[in-house]
Amino acid sequence: MRNSWAVLSLTFIANLISQAAGVSPPGKPRLTSCRSPEKETFTCWWEPGDDGGLPTTYALYYRLEHSETVNECPDYRTAGENSCFFNKNDTSLWVNYNITVVATNALGKNISDPVEVDVVYIVQPKSPENVTAVVVHEDQGPFVKVLWEKPRTADTRSGWITLLYQLRVKQEKDKEWVEYDAGRQKYYNVFSLHPGKYMVQVRCKPDHGFWSEWTKTTYIKMPDYLPKERSLWIMITIFSVFIVLILIWMLNMKRNSVKLCLLPPVPGPKIKGFDKQLLKSGKSEEIFNSLVIQGFPPTTDYDDLLVEYLEVYDNEQQELVLDGKDLSEDCIKSKSPSDCDSGRGSCDSRTLLLEKCIEGREGSGSDQHQYSQHGETSWASTESSESQGPEPSSPESVDGRVKTWPIVCSSPEPQPYHHYQAGSAKPAYHSVPEILSHLSPHATASNYHQLHHQDIPPQEVLFSKPACSHSQSYNQFNLDGSDTPAHGVPPSRFLGYVEVQRVNPENMLLLRPLSDPNSELEGSDCTGEDYSKVKEVTSNNILFLQRETSHQCVDNYSPDLDSQADQCTSQQPPHPCKPAVHQSYSPMPEEGMRVMGNGYVDSTVLMPSY
Amino acid sequence: MSRSLKQVAVLLVALLCLDPHGRVGSAPICAHGPSGCHVPSLADLFDRVIQHSARMHSLSNDLHSEFEQYFLPSKNHIGKIYRKCHTSNILTPNGKENAQKLAREELTEVILKLLLAWRDPLFQLHQSMAHQQDFNSFSSNKALEMGDMAHELRKGVEKVAEKMRVLGMLGNFVTGLSEPETMLPISDSGEAMSDYELLYCFRRDSNKVQNYLKILKCRIVPEHDC
Repeated sequence: MRNSWAVLSLTFIANLISQAAGVSPPGKPRLTSCRSPEKETFTCWWEPGDDGGLPTTYALYYRLEHSETVNECPDYRTAGENSCFFNKNDTSLWVNYNITVVATNALGKNISDPVEVDVVYIVQPKSPENVTAVVVHEDQGPFVKVLWEKPRTADTRSGWITLLYQLRVKQEKDKEWVEYDAGRQKYYNVFSLHPGKYMVQVRCKPDHGFWSEWTKTTYIKMPDYLPKERSLWIMITIFSVFIVLILIWMLNMKRNSVKLCLLPPVPGPKIKGFDKQLLKSGKSEEIFNSLVIQGFPPTTDYDDLLVEYLEVYDNEQQELVLDGKDLSEDCIKSKSPSDCDSGRGSCDSRTLLLEKCIEGREGSGSDQHQYSQHGETSWASTESSESQGPEPSSPESVDGRVKTWPIVCSSPEPQPYHHYQAGSAKPAYHSVPEILSHLSPHATASNYHQLHHQDIPPQEVLFSKPACSHSQSYNQFNLDGSDTPAHGVPPSRFLGYVEVQRVNPENMLLLRPLSDPNSELEGSDCTGEDYSKVKEVTSNNILFLQRETSHQCVDNYSPDLDSQADQCTSQQPPHPCKPAVHQSYSPMPEEGMRVMGNGYVDSTVLMPSY
Repeated sequence: MSRSLKQVAVLLVALLCLDPHGRVGSAPICAHGPSGCHVPSLADLFDRVIQHSARMHSLSNDLHSEFEQYFLPSKNHIGKIYRKCHTSNILTPNGKENAQKLAREELTEVILKLLLAWRDPLFQLHQSMAHQQDFNSFSSNKALEMGDMAHELRKGVEKVAEKMRVLGMLGNFVTGLSEPETMLPISDSGEAMSDYELLYCFRRDSNKVQNYLKILKCRIVPEHDC
């Protein structure tokens, strides 16, 4: 008891002393790794723990699987410090090794954690050897061929180990390596390297195991060479040519729109005209239907117009406060681009205008062209001829036949107007010439209608009587309207026909009387049978034509109009009024009906209204 | 009356089935000579077989690591006792020299023995893995594939051996080993081995097979890759 007490106290003191001195039993060592380079031997390394200030020895013990024998490491030196090397005789494959390391010093020992190792799965070969890189010059360009050898210890010859190789390449300035897998072969060709200095490294691995370390760097200099990238330039050239061709072709296809873009066409006036498609389709009804403007003529102003109209006397110097411009405008506008002159009446028809005015049809507009046959343009067309379709052929007045103003339109007497008034609303629509006639003697301040006479003898211009002079007085017609100055019209009464001499640039028709000796009077037909005078218009849009006896044309002027009209109504015409083509022809006054030379009676008026 | 007819019919069918000549056999395509038929050389056969064994081993490796990862978290199994694999009584060379010392026939025999020993256990493994809900279908498929591969590999090695024998390379060679068929994976204690143990053992054995085959190949046809 005393001994044990002494031993205990001694150890206690020793511990205290050792603690004071800083020594202790060794720390726990740790097995870091075990590796086999060729699957025939293996080495284990450990990490010593704290040695406790005292010299510590380490010992490695192993135990084979299913065996109780504990063996100590056979070789501590070959593999270096803190290692244990198992040679071939001590290495068994496919067997688990239970390995521990024991650290021992004066104060105690410490045992590491055991590690189970099967040699087959810890194979890490040595690095490949003799890495060489050469530059091989070929037609496509130089490349680098890298060659190496297997690690000396690995026995691939007997098939015991199968090694797979890998190499990596980089230029010195590059950050990252480029890796290539070489498989089982011991060479590799590296292409597409830029000129410069390159570093090459190789490593290997068994089919089941760890990668070896990289070999030491091998340097290879890639020579400068001009890359004969001809193929690239050829491709670029072909591609660009192709693109250019495509562009040209596209431009060609779209040349119209390009032209449109670069040189935009001058826009034309947009007036709805004939629908060509309808024309082609050949349905006349539809064509005519399309020509009708709905709500035209305006029916609301009829009374006003009529009233206005009635106030005008062409024998008196009265200003025509007229919204005649509307009338005339409408009259003018009631034209059609083409003249379907089917039986409607020639330009010679003096009833034409009236009828047009009355009906307000566009189709008759062409006739308005006719009134200015001798001008460069027709007064009617000055406004709208461009917009219209094919200009209706000017009525054939080449023979010098002048157009006739419809007598009705030009009747200066109030009575005919009453007729008109009594008639349908239509006749309230006066034609231009009527207006003109009223305007003619006056120095009108009307906005619209101006009468300019040139070379007109100071006579009253009356268009009332379709004298056989066939001259019609044309009024100079200022179509533009608004600011026409009031020309002074000589208050002369010209009771003959005038013809349009020309149209001056201000859209003024210059007229000259045809009854002048200077006038060109061609083919005058003094028979006086060219014209039919409208006697009256009935309520159902029937124009009664008055046939007039053909005596001196001069005689038929206005002063007698009234009487003539009366005569027509009252008397039995000496010459029967020719029946109108379209019925309802009243018995004609003797001087009433005036038949055209060819027996033509303007029957357009008698056509049913739309 | 009908009963007797039935019995006769059953007997007939049984006879037909059992009669080996009644079975459909497969004739080799190139039976009628090398006309347009590429007969694989021994080297080709070896290559195929080795590739096959490599694939088998990688499968077993994958399955084993999956097991370890998900079911046995601790890497170092302290105190873990490995039961002996059922193939441990098959003498196999445990090193290169030992393997090289063995004759070709013995080496071939060892290979065949190993492969045969694993035919049934692999089937068992697949069954047990398929039944357990823990494994995903991917793993059980791998196990199935592994079993099929082992079977195919055995057939392939038998063909190689046959070819070698035809070429006169093999001497006394006994084919058609039957005893391992009765070997069941029963450990010493008599209990059936667990899936993990089976995988562990098979991983090792497939590695053995691959190595032996490579040695055999480089010994017999050393031209390629040796």
